[in-house]
Amino acid sequence: MLSFLPFQYLPLQSKTPSMGQKSLAEQAQILLRSRLCNPTFIFTLFSDSPDSNHSKLKFIISSSVTEACNNSVLLLGPRGCGKIAVLELVLDDLRKEYHDLITVIKLNGLLHSDDNCALKEIARQLCVEHQLMFSKMASFDDNSQFMVAMLRECGLAHKTVIFVLDEFDLFAQGKQRLLYSLLDAMQSVTSQAVVVGVSCRLDADQLLEKRVRSRFSHRKLLFLPPSREDLQRLLEHILLLPTDSSLPHDYVADFNAKLLNILAGEKFKEIIETLSNSDLTFNHMLRFLFSAVCYMDLESGFMSLDNFKAALSTIQRQPKLECLKDCSILELYILVCMKRLEVKEPDTYNFNSVMKEYKSIHDSFQTSDYYARNVCLRAFEHLLQCELISVVDNRGLSQSIEFRPVRLLISCHELNQGLKSHRSCPVILQKLVDREG
Amino acid sequence: MGEEESPQITRRTTRASSSNPNLNSAAETVLHNCNSQPLTHNDLVYGDEPISFDDLICSFPGRRIQILELLQLLGPLNSPVIPLFIYGGACRGKTSTVLQIFRHLNRPFVYSSCLTCYSPRILFESILNQLLLHRKHEGNGYSSAKRCERPSEFVNLLREALGNIINSLKGNMGKSNSKKLVGQAKGQIIYLIFDNLELVRDWEKSSNILPFLFMLYDIMKMPEVGLIFISNTSPDTYYFNTGYTEPVPLYFPEYTEDDLRQILMRNQCNPKLYSSFLDVLLRPFSRITRRVDELSTAFPALYKKYCEPLSDLGIFPNEKMKRMLFSHLQPHIAPSLNEIFRVEAGHNKDKAKGKGNARKAGVSEASDEVEFHMSTSAKYLLISAFLASRNPATLDASLFDSTGGSDNRKRKRKSSVKSVEQKETAEQELLMKGPGTFPLERLLAIYQCLTSVEECSFDEEQGTDGLGCENGDSGLMSDILLQLSSLCSANFMSKGGSCPLEGSTRYRCTVSEDMALKVARSLKFPLSKYLYRR
Repeated sequence: MLSFLPFQYLPLQSKTPSMGQKSLAEQAQILLRSRLCNPTFIFTLFSDSPDSNHSKLKFIISSSVTEACNNSVLLLGPRGCGKIAVLELVLDDLRKEYHDLITVIKLNGLLHSDDNCALKEIARQLCVEHQLMFSKMASFDDNSQFMVAMLRECGLAHKTVIFVLDEFDLFAQGKQRLLYSLLDAMQSVTSQAVVVGVSCRLDADQLLEKRVRSRFSHRKLLFLPPSREDLQRLLEHILLLPTDSSLPHDYVADFNAKLLNILAGEKFKEIIETLSNSDLTFNHMLRFLFSAVCYMDLESGFMSLDNFKAALSTIQRQPKLECLKDCSILELYILVCMKRLEVKEPDTYNFNSVMKEYKSIHDSFQTSDYYARNVCLRAFEHLLQCELISVVDNRGLSQSIEFRPVRLLISCHELNQGLKSHRSCPVILQKLVDREG
Repeated sequence: MGEEESPQITRRTTRASSSNPNLNSAAETVLHNCNSQPLTHNDLVYGDEPISFDDLICSFPGRRIQILELLQLLGPLNSPVIPLFIYGGACRGKTSTVLQIFRHLNRPFVYSSCLTCYSPRILFESILNQLLLHRKHEGNGYSSAKRCERPSEFVNLLREALGNIINSLKGNMGKSNSKKLVGQAKGQIIYLIFDNLELVRDWEKSSNILPFLFMLYDIMKMPEVGLIFISNTSPDTYYFNTGYTEPVPLYFPEYTEDDLRQILMRNQCNPKLYSSFLDVLLRPFSRITRRVDELSTAFPALYKKYCEPLSDLGIFPNEKMKRMLFSHLQPHIAPSLNEIFRVEAGHNKDKAKGKGNARKAGVSEASDEVEFHMSTSAKYLLISAFLASRNPATLDASLFDSTGGSDNRKRKRKSSVKSVEQKETAEQELLMKGPGTFPLERLLAIYQCLTSVEECSFDEEQGTDGLGCENGDSGLMSDILLQLSSLCSANFMSKGGSCPLEGSTRYRCTVSEDMALKVARSLKFPLSKYLYRR
């Protein structure tokens, strides 16, 4: 599986004692890696077309800035499709256009779903933005009064406050006090505010209570994973080295030529096809490209198809199969006994029944691997730890492990595959599993 | 990370020392002097001498591919990295490999383990302490630099602390020269390592904390930070309803037999002899387990036995000697396979040495005695609990009548087909359901019955021996509830849920029959007469 891994890593630090110089390959790799870790770079590609989400969002927010009105919009789409990245680009653009007229308050549902936390964070960010003193001891009422007062002041000064609510669906849990107070303040006070909710749940607006939903405009922007053509454009946009960088011109030309060659090849298209079959989002692709760039051969300084193949095998793993391959033979015996029990009696079974089955296998086939109960118990616990089996009930500590009902977490097919690819699986086990079907 | 001072011992004020104020202040100034060097950002590296690449590969046999892959993923100096997820079973060298790689690279990192930091607050504060270069000592009352309970506070404080550290690292770059490279942290990227991540799933707020940790990189949006997660379980065991941005996985497979051999051969005084020992033993043992910790605890005793016939432990064995040693060891191999996970109680080893010569080869070394000390009342309580769990409650009246005996039970029944079937299903039930529960009152009743019987026989034996045992409520009945709770915390009994109608808590005895028989034997109590056999 890892046979494509190029392991010609040279510890360059020992060869170049002065830290300033880096080889060309290193510089190129660092450039590519920084691009891949920087979402704004990636999504600038899609910001130019007029009907893209970027332009629509920009239009919504800038119109509410210029026309001094309130607005709200939801950005929805699967995780890793660039919602926050596009929003950041739009905000950057708007900051350049209208310097002081915009204040951005960022909240995250993972951190601030509790109302106290959220208001404290809003107050803190408002203070930082306007260079005011922030007191950590302020109470919930103080903070909320402060927020309303600031909204009013900003409204009178014609400044727009943009609230970015990331993981919007987590704010919609519980009583939705924060959402209600925010949207209510927007409506009652002379304020200019835009609420941008970002969520990976496509039904995020259905989660809102009636009173909150009535104050929320039903504007939604859908972010979708890229199409094939967009993906191709993206690959070239990311991987081709820029001609105006500090790298020497002929190296860049060589690199780009080799890369375009690879990208046009059939094998590469197959790799992309395999990747897109499982997950089409940007994040997945970026992880793949990051691994591929990491495996770049630093000696030659160019990327090769092997890098991409190695990256594919890194990203697409089969953890249960790996775990099975690393099981000891006794653990395989236990798994096969459990499989047989599942076929025989679909009711629950526990460690004692597994031991009975183990003994019956030993009696009928005279295997050489018959071990004592405590040894089997320890192997059983290993299997529980690596989550190939699990207990069914959640009674916790009130029953010993030998009596708790367990079940297999791998399917028959996976077990078959695991036994076949195990390096020293006894033949008897394969026969037993095959017999069951 | 950083120089490890000797742990500060808290000084309790004794009357002598508090009456002598000079003593205290002198001690404090001494302490203050050794703590006077503040930590710098250069203390965020591993601290010892950096090792070369070859040393790194040599010190981890069988991990060459993983080390190379990790080095490639971390990349050259100052290259940003997306979060990495290193996983593999226990005891495969994940933590030590990662730390030694950072020693080789000499890059600054912050290590925290979710095993020692067992709650979110402790985890956050530990990371912040390391980043803020704060050391806990007596002067500040062993408190953390900042109090941080919630993820929202953590993100703000982390951002601040990281900003400061990165600025000082950048300042480092400006004035670095090749003379002082040793001890200087390299690069402007700082790595946060979270170890034992699988334990976070069992925390109370795991539904918040775990997605938060995985999304930390996206929330922070700082390319100067790298996150590395180390876990014993694979990434598919972390499942959330709303998903998360997945880190790049890196798998540490189990060691092959050759790797195991290389690892176990290290630090052996006679490599050739040990290698011939492993030739014999490694294969059968690795059929049971391939974990290094379990094998390395099982082998030393066997190695001693293997070397027994040799007078000189430094010799190189030739073929004939190897065969002789093998035939000497062979009878011990099979039983030792079944004892592989046995933990030797300390005092037993001395006893075993004494009795060792008298034992036949091949007999298992399990002693017939209970390996730890229990008081007599505790033993009786354990036996009563065992009987209460195993016997149905309806039998108590007949078993524990005034004669205290169970001889009335010997009624032979014809074994018809139906009763044989019933016996089988009853056995099956016992296998499946395990020991039954009993209320406290039943336990106390049985206990009282047993001890009263024993006291009668005790008194009969002792006759007029004036040991001062009173009849009836003797010393054996005292502190019963205390004994009960110590049995529960020793896991011999477990406390089940309480039925809301009946109100009392129910207990269950989790001791195996062998253990109960051992305990009964030590009391000379005829347990088998009281056990209900269906």
